[in-house]
Amino acid sequence: MAEQTLNIPQLLVFIIVSVLAVRWYLAKPAAAGSRPAGANRAVRINPAHIDQVANMFPQLNRRDIAWDLQRNGGNVAATTERVLAGRGLEVPPTSFNIPTPRPTPTSRTAAPIAKPSQPDLITRYNLSSKLTANAESTTTEEQPKQKAWSQDRTERQANFQRRREEMILAARRKLEEKEKAKVSGAPA
Amino acid sequence: MASSASKRLFKEYKGLSSDPPEGITAGPISEDDMFLWEALIQGPEGTPFEGGIFPAELKFPKDYPLAPPSMRFLVDVWHPNVYQNGSVCISILHPPGDDPNHYEQASERWSPIQSVEKILISVMSMLAEPNDESPANVEAAKMWREKRADYEKIVRDNVRKSLGL
Repeated sequence: MAEQTLNIPQLLVFIIVSVLAVRWYLAKPAAAGSRPAGANRAVRINPAHIDQVANMFPQLNRRDIAWDLQRNGGNVAATTERVLAGRGLEVPPTSFNIPTPRPTPTSRTAAPIAKPSQPDLITRYNLSSKLTANAESTTTEEQPKQKAWSQDRTERQANFQRRREEMILAARRKLEEKEKAKVSGAPA
Repeated sequence: MASSASKRLFKEYKGLSSDPPEGITAGPISEDDMFLWEALIQGPEGTPFEGGIFPAELKFPKDYPLAPPSMRFLVDVWHPNVYQNGSVCISILHPPGDDPNHYEQASERWSPIQSVEKILISVMSMLAEPNDESPANVEAAKMWREKRADYEKIVRDNVRKSLGL
């Protein structure tokens, strides 16, 4: 009798334990199932986003960027902020593979080769029309120096631009004259 | 912080506009963004840079004048202290305590008592007298040291090219 009353609680404990065990077993595949989802997320990282961050911070490793992007769900702004805040990016685990890896050496060597020659100042400041206009009036001295500082913001801006243009045009004229002098002086 | 920086930049802009140093024009490209400037520097006379105008972009940090701006030439400048991408490497643009080689005096480096004007004047004299202790452009430095005539020819050609001749 005494043994039997002891057995009922034991049976209850056994049932509870086995129920928990079954539940645990059933829950496990679900948890494991969420892992491939995480791996999928890694694949979804847009290489363009990595490029975007890498362009902003050329000193950073693309792999570090990709890892940080993966961890924050491809949030470029968050990664940028993190770098700007001075918190460095974490070093990704060795198992981490960069999505569509693009070898950095090629892009780095390609940059200087593709580096376009800088446009000249006349093109840059759109001065070709003023160049011919000013060539005629080279003899007449430039207008008396206006006061460069103005209380009016747009006027200031215009003054600044005018001073820049004058500086370039003056240099160009001077160089042209020098060349002319050289050419006419050479045969003599 | 940012507002005190832009106030200071505005003051410097005013100073540079009303009393510009010889051969230097500088100011913000637009007053909407006081932290991005453009400067024109005239090539110093008596050097191969003579007659040239060298535009450069200055980017100021939000904590200016605690930290120095960065400076990048917008035309090709063949010079031992200018990187191929135009970035200028000069001691006044380096924050104090940021010199791993310890060849620069602290007094030469950036401090809040420096100014845009001082930077631009320093860059102008740098054009005249390269410092080949720490070349940014090793090839140019080598040429400057060993084949001065070739170096000066490249510089002169760049000047002509930049003025559209």
